[in-house]
Amino acid sequence: MDDAGKPTSEERPRLPFAVEEALAVFALAVLVALTFANVVVRYFTDQSFAVTEEISIFLMVAMVLAGASAAAGRDVHIRIEYFVETGSATRRRALLLFAALASAGFFFAFTYFAALYVWDEYRYGETTMALGLPRWWYSIWMPMLSAAIGLRALGFAHRLFKRGAP
Amino acid sequence: MIGLTLFALFGVLMLAGVPIGVALGLGGALAIGLSNPETKLFGLMAAPQNFHAGIAKYPLLALPMFVLVGSIFDRSGVAQRLVNFCVAIFGRSMGTLPAIAILVAIVFGGISGSGPANAAAVGGVMIAAMARAGYPQAFSASVIGAGAATDILIPPSIAFIVYSISVPAASVPALFAAGMIPGLLAGLALMIAAVWLARRHKMGAAEAELPRPPFWRSLMEASWGLAAPVLILGGMRAGWFTPTEAAVVAVVYGLFVGMVVHRTIGFRDLYSIFREAAEISAVIMLVLGLAGIFAYAVSTLGLADPLVGAIKNAGLGSAATLALVIVVLVIVGMFLDGISIFMIFLPLLTPLMRTFGWDPVWFGVVITMMVAIGQITPPMAVNLLVACRLAGVRIEETFPWVIWLVGAFVLASIAVVIFPGLALWLPRDLGY
Repeated sequence: MDDAGKPTSEERPRLPFAVEEALAVFALAVLVALTFANVVVRYFTDQSFAVTEEISIFLMVAMVLAGASAAAGRDVHIRIEYFVETGSATRRRALLLFAALASAGFFFAFTYFAALYVWDEYRYGETTMALGLPRWWYSIWMPMLSAAIGLRALGFAHRLFKRGAP
Repeated sequence: MIGLTLFALFGVLMLAGVPIGVALGLGGALAIGLSNPETKLFGLMAAPQNFHAGIAKYPLLALPMFVLVGSIFDRSGVAQRLVNFCVAIFGRSMGTLPAIAILVAIVFGGISGSGPANAAAVGGVMIAAMARAGYPQAFSASVIGAGAATDILIPPSIAFIVYSISVPAASVPALFAAGMIPGLLAGLALMIAAVWLARRHKMGAAEAELPRPPFWRSLMEASWGLAAPVLILGGMRAGWFTPTEAAVVAVVYGLFVGMVVHRTIGFRDLYSIFREAAEISAVIMLVLGLAGIFAYAVSTLGLADPLVGAIKNAGLGSAATLALVIVVLVIVGMFLDGISIFMIFLPLLTPLMRTFGWDPVWFGVVITMMVAIGQITPPMAVNLLVACRLAGVRIEETFPWVIWLVGAFVLASIAVVIFPGLALWLPRDLGY
């Protein structure tokens, strides 16, 4: 949650983090608007448009994955910093590289299984409860954005590597 | 054997500085794969399913909303006006300003849901004010970090929302009500310790010479901020809003106060406020999702059973087991943040809770108090870190001061452990 004190790369990524950030900000802004509209509508009309729940959940998942992608590129995910922050510069660099590569590896594998999950939903023509939309419209974002997280982690490792040994 | 693999791999990855979420996901996925060698794809289709199930929950929407509330009120100018009002009430005698810092943190805790957000908002105002009054920066940072630790006990609280997701027997409103008295008690203990420290070391001698703001005008200016906790907590109590709705109403109210009343937030600031909130929420909720894989592995493979069985067979009673749990959580809390502690330990602690018949609401308050202590105990202390950065001191310098405040917080926690009524009276009285 806080990036100070952490060695960050001077080099900027070719694709700015602003791309995922804009997506996450957009999702959060729509979430606020939908939820507030729900409160207002229910207050004045005693009706709720509960169908928006489904869209809200989708937006929340998209916000998490998009925000996590930018956070992976900046290397600000929650970790135990004790051993990364102490010790020699060589050890710190090695640990940071290892962490970024482990993250990338995990998210690429996760992308594969998430893609199969979406494929199943598509194949069996599953639809959502409230709106009756095809489920894969919502879930397709999961493999796409987890691939993005993996790429951002890889990008961080690359920038760290390029900087050379301390 | 598979259980051992899971915990060993997970432990090594975590200590090596791999992001907590990734360590949870890798450990969980490996355990699932090892135990399903014959199943198609090693049963790993459970990974995306459980990740999705971990965050695709409507009540969890309260989390990003309350994070956003914290980001908005941090810049709404409310903290400054609350401080002025408190100074107008309590005056300028020696040792008053540290107590005011903690009091403002408590009131702010009734708006925001996380400790670091509270430390940033209160610290942004109080660090400079305490420096002018002659308090050493390391002392100010300690007081502000410790005061902010009450935030996750005083409702609303992100910690309680996460706890309730993992322990559905404890509802969010019941937890919110249960945290109130323990939070105030901890705040009171901190105030006593802070004033005692200030007087003993004759700090803040310049405080008496500073001007005292006029009472009525500061009350008027502070009223917008003071109304926020009333709106949030009163609205939930009156049954007007669910926690999520209360949060979104607070978002709109905070934007109104910041943009129209105090004029501290411009249109250009909106994007950065939303970006900050989206990213903080994403980092927290990624851990929740990936912990879903870990929790699935632990529960379906029955990995917690041997551990729980060992504790049961060790013949420790309820009290000794609880003491053990508390000691472990305090130690772990020195290195890990609260959300991760909940997600890693709750799959192990819930069976213990059932075995010994601990009240889930009370237990939630107790372990949240341990998390709060972890937030101010070096070396890993998020609240203290935020306050130290604002004060420009190193975290080591705060040690001689913060240790007394940690002690005061521990005493308040012991009281809640011994007298569960301190936590449970209010939710029972309110009928949750």
